[in-house]
Amino acid sequence: MQRMNPNMEKIWMKVQKPSRYTGGELNSVIKNKEDVDVRFAFCFPDVYEVGMSHLGMKILYGILNEMDGVWCERVFAPWIDMEEQLRDAHLDLYALESGDSLREFDILGFTLQYELSYSNILNMLDMSGIPLLASQREGLKNLVVAGGPCACNPEPLADFVDLFFLGEGEEIDKELILLYRKCKQENVGKQEFLIQAAQIPGVYVPSLYDVKYKENGTISSVTPLCGAPAKITKRVMNDLDSMYFPDRFVVPYLDIVHNRAVSEVLRGCIRGCRFCQAGFIYRPFREKSVETINRQCKSLCENTGYDEISLSSLSTSDYRQLNPLLDKLLTWTEDARVGISLPSLRVDNFSTEVMDKIKTVRRSGLTFAPEAGTQRLRDVINKNVTEEELMKTVSTAFKGGWNSIKLYFMIGLPTETLEDIEGIVNLGQKVVDAFYANPDRPKGRGVSVSVSASGFVPKPFTPFQWEPQDTVKELREKQKHLVNCVHSRKLECNYHEAVVSFLEGVFARGDRRLGPVLLEAHRQGCKFDGWNDCFSYEKWMRAFQICKVDPAFYANRRRSFDEILPWDHLDYGITKEFLIRECKKAYQAEITPNCMQKCSACGASCFKGGICVEDRTDLV
Amino acid sequence: MKTVRIWFKKLGAARFISHLDLNRCMARAVHMAKIPLWYTQGFNPHAFITFALPLSLGVRGERECMDMKIDETKITDEELLLRLQKTLPADLPVFAVTDPKEKPGKIAYALYELKMCSETPENAETDLFQKWESFLNQEKIPAEKRSKSGPLVVDLKPDLQIRKIFQDGETIYTEVLLPAGSEYNLNPSLLVETFRSQSGASFFCEYTRHCLYNKQMEPFQ
Repeated sequence: MQRMNPNMEKIWMKVQKPSRYTGGELNSVIKNKEDVDVRFAFCFPDVYEVGMSHLGMKILYGILNEMDGVWCERVFAPWIDMEEQLRDAHLDLYALESGDSLREFDILGFTLQYELSYSNILNMLDMSGIPLLASQREGLKNLVVAGGPCACNPEPLADFVDLFFLGEGEEIDKELILLYRKCKQENVGKQEFLIQAAQIPGVYVPSLYDVKYKENGTISSVTPLCGAPAKITKRVMNDLDSMYFPDRFVVPYLDIVHNRAVSEVLRGCIRGCRFCQAGFIYRPFREKSVETINRQCKSLCENTGYDEISLSSLSTSDYRQLNPLLDKLLTWTEDARVGISLPSLRVDNFSTEVMDKIKTVRRSGLTFAPEAGTQRLRDVINKNVTEEELMKTVSTAFKGGWNSIKLYFMIGLPTETLEDIEGIVNLGQKVVDAFYANPDRPKGRGVSVSVSASGFVPKPFTPFQWEPQDTVKELREKQKHLVNCVHSRKLECNYHEAVVSFLEGVFARGDRRLGPVLLEAHRQGCKFDGWNDCFSYEKWMRAFQICKVDPAFYANRRRSFDEILPWDHLDYGITKEFLIRECKKAYQAEITPNCMQKCSACGASCFKGGICVEDRTDLV
Repeated sequence: MKTVRIWFKKLGAARFISHLDLNRCMARAVHMAKIPLWYTQGFNPHAFITFALPLSLGVRGERECMDMKIDETKITDEELLLRLQKTLPADLPVFAVTDPKEKPGKIAYALYELKMCSETPENAETDLFQKWESFLNQEKIPAEKRSKSGPLVVDLKPDLQIRKIFQDGETIYTEVLLPAGSEYNLNPSLLVETFRSQSGASFFCEYTRHCLYNKQMEPFQ
């Protein structure tokens, strides 16, 4: 098969890491175009190494390619050098499997992993000659859809995306494709298709909602049109054991960010840390059984050749069968020379037993996230981790031979004072001291503790969704204070660029009036905003200025509890009453028990799944 | 335990895999094929796979080889070949498994094919062909070669053996034998890039390595 344009080879010779663009990897799916009537391009608006590490893409790629007559291909944002080559040669951005331009595709599905990738979505459409505005794309061809965590406030993208998927995609993608096929066969127009699609639970068609604003700039009403539902409820997969999971991944030639087999052990999170969007929008907490995970890990290793399994989730140590699972895996992984890694461990339940089991293979650094420097502030954000627990955990780790610890913090949290900033450094220093206080410490090696502080960004569907974000000036002052407090060379201190957090904050809680700004920023050449070497604050500020939109209105303004928020018509199960309760408790530095200890009536039980419906006599 | 030599091609997308990535890719294929490998006995055991003479990025390889140590009591060469054919991507086909007859140090020459196409239109091929021939016919071809001790000017002419050179339609084909191996290695792109900068011609060149030879000009085995 003539898969690629021969001109492409010349281009590959001129760019860095050409394997990003060649395709042809093990387990990539090639179908006969004659047998296909719906072509789906799964578009990841970041580079290959990032996108290929994304589990959601692997799942949906598997599901869609199992459908008869459907061919799902992968598209990633080409890095600057490749974009330049493609544009110089007047070639379109293409999908890796067929080498065909995105214009050839029926549906382009973007995944919204973080706000700073929005400009790449526009750029990818532009590189394929596809009109950016949804209103300019007539007909069913090149339908642009999007899903992923940021779809919980998709309003800034409402001008560009035809429809959004809310929640988990395993079923909804298939349902939409079946409707699309039917409409394509019956020659149904785009508008009629969208009206029908809006009836699929979890599908949000922004053009079917009329948003009106008050004089002060806040929203006065959101009105559904053409029979679209007033509330769109996210989709949830209740039974993780019967749910589709790929038994093979596309194995890249290139070393990517997470180059290993991945099995999801659970979805949702019991913790309810008040800053964490994922902790709320993925509820309820649901676990996969040991048998299922074991079987999936085994077939993944057999079909990919990977020698490392990652047990992934928001908080893997909350998986209640972790020890039995590790024992089960260890019955075959050692002989097969497969290592196990646990990416998301918590400070409060990190045990020697687990540590002994995972260290049999390979040892990398350990990372913990206390998130705030003082107990008071940790209580405010409901990060139920104490200093004592952290010290106990790091001492265990040091005894076990680890000597490199990374600690993640946030600055700019609600109610934060300079004392809390100092607390971050003090905590880091105490970890350093704990290493030297340990008589069993690894001999002849020093300790390295790195403290990394990112700027807090208030997100929708969290108890802090009404909070003002610290201004760039405030964040910078706090960063400066943080660095000034460090007095040890064993303690390394990093922080994130404040202007990047600011932009993230604007788009996280933005509304439809940011559409023109995004378009202007694209015209100004903004792309890869999450990458330091590409991000241009000046270009973004120019775009806001040209569109006469004040970014501070979105980032730094305190909302009142009764304001209509841009995402209020989207339903993630979590009720506003619960979020208000949590917000008020935060001001009192009052903690909320986790879902295992006590149900806090967040609203996620409406999905009737997971921990919410467990028969648990231990609960009061 | 014995060492086997596995012969494969590096085609299509696989041409663009760097040596480090090729290593990883092979290790995964071997792992997937459940080859009874011999592992290094150190603190961090890993499979022992070595490549005779790694290819540069973008170069097609018609007869590449890698060596690995296996437990021969557990697998035959034929079985090894079959299993690897199943687990490697289509662009990295394995075609033979042999006992290594020579050490990689015996490699002395490599035969390359260069396919050049002019990038400026209008009879430029003929022009390019003439330029290329007169470039090759010079008495000396000084080129700047990168070496560990910094840039080094070498004369390519004495080491250059043109086996074939002809024009077919828009393409100029050249077969050239160059010294190769750990002692003295000349990359064909050095020749081509020197030509490019000397002549100012604008063209695209595709490289294929056909075969490796020893000092006696017998194919490396």
